[in-house]
Amino acid sequence: MARPTALLLLALVSAGAGALALETARRAQAQNPLTLARGARPAPAWSNTSWLNTDHPLALDELRGKVVLLNFWVFTCHNCTNTVPSLVDFDHQYRDQGLTLVGIHTPEFPPYAGEHDRGNVERALARYHIEYPNAQDNDARTWNLYGIRFWPSFVLIDKRGVIRYEGYGEFHLHDASYRLWDERIRRLLAE
Amino acid sequence: MVRRMMGMTRADAAVRVALVAALSIGMGSSCSRADATGAIRIETSRAGPDTRLTLVAAPGFKLNARLKPALELPDGSLLRFDSPLLTPDSAYFAGPPSAVLSGRHGRVRGTLRASICDPREAVCRSVIVDL
Repeated sequence: MARPTALLLLALVSAGAGALALETARRAQAQNPLTLARGARPAPAWSNTSWLNTDHPLALDELRGKVVLLNFWVFTCHNCTNTVPSLVDFDHQYRDQGLTLVGIHTPEFPPYAGEHDRGNVERALARYHIEYPNAQDNDARTWNLYGIRFWPSFVLIDKRGVIRYEGYGEFHLHDASYRLWDERIRRLLAE
Repeated sequence: MVRRMMGMTRADAAVRVALVAALSIGMGSSCSRADATGAIRIETSRAGPDTRLTLVAAPGFKLNARLKPALELPDGSLLRFDSPLLTPDSAYFAGPPSAVLSGRHGRVRGTLRASICDPREAVCRSVIVDL
């Protein structure tokens, strides 16, 4: 009689420990700025009409077969502009292999701050040597569509148009976060 | 009373919460203060015949100097906060930015906007507070 009870207790303890471990892992993942725990899902189609560094408004559909890295940023954000050299590096390394970087320039303040001004965005692109396409997201529609919360944020979309990785926060050439995004890009390019 | 807007989506942040208790300004020699959010607070003091408003970031947060905080006043005018004290990279305020509101005011009303950056997360976010 004692043995089944002991086994039951053991099973309960194991189940509890398992649940605790799962919850701990879930929380750790949810708090990791490099790995948002929202899961893979189809990337929503954006509809921005004002674009720079491209001769036509880019549509998500036309990027099928490409790996797409979205960077939500604004030129008034130091964390964002500090990250740009890494993104420019990704563009140079992987554009020919099928990576398309897309900047989504989303202002923080109303127009009086100058972030909505196309000329100011153009000057920022030149200043930071950004050659990849950028959309002006002045109404924050794409920001909201993707559920973004911070500047800068990143969304990596695979060749089938599925969001595979999301994260946020400044990173620098060859630091740990850079290496992680680099590894993710290479993994998706190889699929 | 004010509400934090940090950590929300822009749509959430746009749902501003009115300041129930308007800021009262001490017109004596001492400063009065009111919490603005968990990340910033406003201090008010006399500046001759006018009222000085000073934004102070909570420990661990920085105020973005590239996007000077703004107070949108009910009459449609705009007050921008500024400080000559910047970090060496000019990205953040090294001293609390302030703005002078013409006249003495028992209450301050308007919409306060600031870009708050958290060095621990290396991100910026908007704070919007209705005063």
